[in-house]
Amino acid sequence: MRTAHKKVLSVAAAIAAIGLVSGCGSATAPTAPAADAGPVTIDVWGWDAESTPNVVAAFNASQDKIKVNYVLQASLKATQTNFRNVMESKKDIPCYIPGIGPMATTLVNGWAQDVTQYVEPIKDTYSKGAQATAQVDGKFFGFPAGPSATFMMANKAVYEKHGLAVPKTWEEFVTTGKELKKHGVTVMNLAGEDPSTLLQMSQQAGASWFEIDGDKWKVNLQDDSTMKAVDIIQQMVDNDLVAHQTYQDRPALYSYFDSGQLATVPLAWWSMAGYQTNFKASLGQWEAVDVPQFKDAKEFVSSGMADPGFVPVGCENPAAAIEYVHWTASSKEAIEAGRNKKTGAIGVPAHLADVSSYTNDVVPDKIFGAQPAAEVGKVIAKAQNAAVGKFERGPNYDAWFPEMQDQWGKAMAKQITLKEAMANVQTFITKDLDSKGIKYEVSK
Amino acid sequence: MSSSLEVRNTLDGKKQEPSRPGRTQGSSASPRLSWRSIQRIKGASFTWPFVVGFVVFTILPVIVGLAQSLYASKTSGLGFGAPTISFAGFDNFARGLVDVVFWESMLRVSIYAVVIVPVIQVVSLVLALLIDAVQRRIANRFRLILLVPYMIPGIVATMIWIYLYSPVVGPLTPVLSFFGLDVDFFSGEMIWVSIGNLALWGAIGFNMLILYGALQAVPREIFDAARVDGASEFRIAMSIKVPYVQTSLVLTGLLSIIGTLQIFAEPTLFRSISPETITKDFTPSMVIYNQAFQVGNLNYAAAQSIILAAVVGVASVIIYRLTKKVDS
Repeated sequence: MRTAHKKVLSVAAAIAAIGLVSGCGSATAPTAPAADAGPVTIDVWGWDAESTPNVVAAFNASQDKIKVNYVLQASLKATQTNFRNVMESKKDIPCYIPGIGPMATTLVNGWAQDVTQYVEPIKDTYSKGAQATAQVDGKFFGFPAGPSATFMMANKAVYEKHGLAVPKTWEEFVTTGKELKKHGVTVMNLAGEDPSTLLQMSQQAGASWFEIDGDKWKVNLQDDSTMKAVDIIQQMVDNDLVAHQTYQDRPALYSYFDSGQLATVPLAWWSMAGYQTNFKASLGQWEAVDVPQFKDAKEFVSSGMADPGFVPVGCENPAAAIEYVHWTASSKEAIEAGRNKKTGAIGVPAHLADVSSYTNDVVPDKIFGAQPAAEVGKVIAKAQNAAVGKFERGPNYDAWFPEMQDQWGKAMAKQITLKEAMANVQTFITKDLDSKGIKYEVSK
Repeated sequence: MSSSLEVRNTLDGKKQEPSRPGRTQGSSASPRLSWRSIQRIKGASFTWPFVVGFVVFTILPVIVGLAQSLYASKTSGLGFGAPTISFAGFDNFARGLVDVVFWESMLRVSIYAVVIVPVIQVVSLVLALLIDAVQRRIANRFRLILLVPYMIPGIVATMIWIYLYSPVVGPLTPVLSFFGLDVDFFSGEMIWVSIGNLALWGAIGFNMLILYGALQAVPREIFDAARVDGASEFRIAMSIKVPYVQTSLVLTGLLSIIGTLQIFAEPTLFRSISPETITKDFTPSMVIYNQAFQVGNLNYAAAQSIILAAVVGVASVIIYRLTKKVDS
């Protein structure tokens, strides 16, 4: 898995960048409120150089009230840095930016406008979960964004070679990992810089790290649900069942994944194309499977987080911005404009309640071999439809996520346990909240 | 043909005072400016492009940073309201002076600098001496080749070396394996060596060029005299060339120290590779970046920047004084 940051942000990028469809063709979908009077020009930021320029061009051609000027940023990191700078300088503030963090953190940073009056009339186009990610205290401060849910890719050839079944629960995952280890195969990769697996497994187990309670935050990174995830990962690390390939060295990573030494890869739909492009030996050996469940799970649950895009404070044309984003997220023209010219693929409209009719289109043709695209599509749709909605990451995610990366890295290197890492991160969070004057209480 | 310094007759027959180059005839705009002053102004005007850049990109940011560092931002409740900006005086500096994480990072890079700066100096000097010893035509080729790493931006250089170091796809691991050496450049134990090697690769070209330029200024007849006296090339290098370039060595040394204490790009990229070793607070610049762009405390980050600048300044002065003392 890539970093949580990259993963969740891809969702926001998918909405604004790939022109995901939502409620496409729905006759009942309400229209967005009219943009502010007169023809207006708005700046929209993004770091997607492939699809978004086409979507923007299509939008500009489709009407003459709003002219969108797409400001391409070098990367997500560059976007975060540059955006913080323009918000400090209060000059050249864009009118829309794809999500660069959770809604609460964005709001605490003082960046997001209240756009409730513009989103409220069109909200039913989007799923309840997507709406929840963009809301704080019942008000919309962002545009609805759906998560790209986690499913798995299992190397069928490896499992068959060693006479093992693909695990269905996380507990089986550990057991199977021990068997695979005897043959020099790791069950999955946990990059030392990327704690996103921990966040997603905690989310899947039902953890709630941050909650609003009146005028204060309730913080708890050590609840029972989190500890379930911690326990599974700790077993995998202690028994050396996992690889620690870094995403910084991509060629080495793909080479390892492709080598038959790795049995399973958790992923979201958008990363399939990258694996197909970079795999050689194992093309056709992979099979899309459901993400393992915790053994006491009452229903099938997948994980995934979304960072909603938002209209920054200082933008004078919020209605125009929302009209543009709504168009990119809900019109057929936007889908076509956002279609990848090389692969012909469109994105999964993750903000829809049911994405079944779109998932087949995103399945690459070689990686899954005998498994039909429709079947892979069903796995994706099942994960997408079962993804937990909002996973609150609190008012200071920007600050604590790098600390979690540090602590996760130490835990993966067996310098500390994951339980200790969680305690350290929680301490860091409370100190940071203290320094910012934000009220909180540590839940028991 | 008349010179402007000669007494000349004008068209109306009146005699005119001799003029000096640069002074406009009959001009009353700057009657008091001497020729020498005008020459000075002209000479100084060549520095304007630098001065403008220095003011805009160095002086002004320092002033803005100083102003920022005197304020503090606080929210309340859930943190959603507009923050209160208040004058904090030197509170941010006081916090910075006792910030263990910040000073640990400072100590870390200082120890690294103690090792890497002398290595850079020695390698640069040896290369400069070797190039100085060969024919100018050959020297020019090597000069260019050795300068190429310096021209590559730090981030790009780091990406290149991450590939070279890669145990799976990089070329170094198999080469070393051939010689029976099992080296993992990405391991926690090797990460400093990996970063140091990258720093060395990037710095020697520039330093070598400065030192080579200084060597070229050494009067050649001294070498001839030494050779006549039976001195070997090594002796000439150690007893004549090196003492002659000591001033340049101090300069390159100071520049290396300043650059090393502010190291950012290399550890930032290497962080993904060895996260258990390279934390977000690994170097002072990383601490500052994290405060500014992750934690979002620009005021404190500004104070830390000024403290770092002060430390670098003080370290430079001390080293400069010490080297001067040794010289005298």
